[in-house]
Amino acid sequence: MRRYVQAETFPRFMALQRADALDLAYVGYGLLVVALVFASYLIGAFGWLPHDPRAMNVTLLNAAPFTPGHPLGTDFLGRDLQSRLILGIQAYFLPGLLAITISIVGGSVLGVLAGYRGGPLETLVTYFANLVDSFPRLVLILLVIAAFKPDIYYVMVVVGITGMPVIANLVAGKIAFLRQKSFIEAAHALGLPAHTVILKHILWLNCRAALVIQATLGMAEAILIETSLSYLGFGVQEPTPSWGNMVQAGANYFLQGNFWPSTAPALAILATILGFQLLGDGLNNILEGKRGR
Amino acid sequence: MKLAAVKPVSRVLARELAVTALLLAGVSVVVFAILYFAPGNPLHALGVREAEGMANTWPGQYAAWFGKVLRGDFGHSVRTGLPVLPELARVGLNTLYLTLGALALTAAIAVPIAVHGAAHGDTAGNTAATMAAYVLSALPVFWFGYIVVYVSIHQFGMFPLISGTATKQQHAWLYFLVPIFVLGTASGTLSEMIRHLREELSRVLAEDYIRTARAKGAPVWRHAFKEGFLIPVTEIMSAKIPFLLGGAVIVEQVFNWPGMGRMAWQAAQDRDFPVIMGVALLAAAFVRLGNLAQRVVFTAVNPRASRE
Repeated sequence: MRRYVQAETFPRFMALQRADALDLAYVGYGLLVVALVFASYLIGAFGWLPHDPRAMNVTLLNAAPFTPGHPLGTDFLGRDLQSRLILGIQAYFLPGLLAITISIVGGSVLGVLAGYRGGPLETLVTYFANLVDSFPRLVLILLVIAAFKPDIYYVMVVVGITGMPVIANLVAGKIAFLRQKSFIEAAHALGLPAHTVILKHILWLNCRAALVIQATLGMAEAILIETSLSYLGFGVQEPTPSWGNMVQAGANYFLQGNFWPSTAPALAILATILGFQLLGDGLNNILEGKRGR
Repeated sequence: MKLAAVKPVSRVLARELAVTALLLAGVSVVVFAILYFAPGNPLHALGVREAEGMANTWPGQYAAWFGKVLRGDFGHSVRTGLPVLPELARVGLNTLYLTLGALALTAAIAVPIAVHGAAHGDTAGNTAATMAAYVLSALPVFWFGYIVVYVSIHQFGMFPLISGTATKQQHAWLYFLVPIFVLGTASGTLSEMIRHLREELSRVLAEDYIRTARAKGAPVWRHAFKEGFLIPVTEIMSAKIPFLLGGAVIVEQVFNWPGMGRMAWQAAQDRDFPVIMGVALLAAAFVRLGNLAQRVVFTAVNPRASRE
């Protein structure tokens, strides 16, 4: 029995051994970022912040980092940047999860319909993908904001829906590849119901990795959209912090030479988006072997 | 040979045109649906109402609305009272320059890195360039814009925040290039473009016919050019147009660039439906045109595609 277990896990070790040092570094950095974001989200959610993120201090405006009591400095109202950066994660964390859930679930359904049923449904899914790709995402979001209201959850529903086609294509491609495999044929021959074959043998056992990769890339996208909208003034409003509105508020002092208040959140955005993207790409290279050689 | 290649191309072009028309119809339905379900009945602001003899059902309203759009009547801006389409045409050109310039710049940076990477593998220089591209792509474009503004003021004595105004400046083209530089490098498309081009070119270089060409001593690049270079480059460029148009909204905001993106921002601020609707329709039309151009190139260099 033991031997079978080993034989099953063996390819995974092989994948790790074949992996580039660079890809492993990508994944390591990405996992670090994910852990930090998650921990900071929890800290912010429980309110265990080093300072009150709204408490102003007019004697200490735009303080540099390493100021005593404020390790990351203060902003233009003397508010502690460290606390505001931690709290800023609230602005995108749950909305981002909503967006990737919508795109993963919806995309998988569309992908299964297109790949498993094929025919006119496949054409319809392709049409939907091209239709979604026709709109610049930010313009579509601005249209929704103008028509409904500037609510981050509305925005993230749009982000989720526009993220569906990529995942649908991926799943449909996987299915087209898997259909020729004998184990799927065997599953059908054994009389397994279609939903077992689709959910277990196709989505869970064979698309898991690809879907996780897409989820991390989707989170990077969601963060980018949220921070951009907050920068543009449609997201989280002052005094509630978001990394986007922090960059925007700090930018007023930028040309005076006070770089830090807008650079700190910008670096946070950079490090986080980079982390999610590198995690996705690194996993893709290791698990799916997509890297061109 | 040539005649055989030409005939199916026209047939494919007709098909692509039909697909484009169908997609543009879909675009109009999406925009209409958003306006239809919006609270406060924005369609009234666009002049679609029962008084025009249209039934109060959605097909009737859609027909009335779409008829107006087709006639070029996008309504009047709620904020300024000016007709939308001439206003958009006035600023749309600025956005077009910005987007196309940025696209060209992104490609100009991505192509050498990708080609070098595909041809020579992971060298130290190539890895460094790819990493730099990753970092640039993850940079928030608005913050990068401020850095560039700061540097250009303090190092070069130019003030790019007033670019595109009616005031004539010295070396106006320089002011023009700064936003293009920012959008082209930091819009987030650079790393994806490099990765796509490198993957495709590597795939083609590993094909049997390239190995044969290499063995014969024939020039490899001439054999790999169409499939490994021309098609992926046009593909990724057309695929990235919507991203750059979205990035243009932000860059135009940073640089006070008088374009469609800034107009869309202002319109979303004021819930100015006619304007934002016009921007969405024009942007989608622009994306579809870019895609159509890509399909034309694809069909022209790859006549096989027409026999699918």
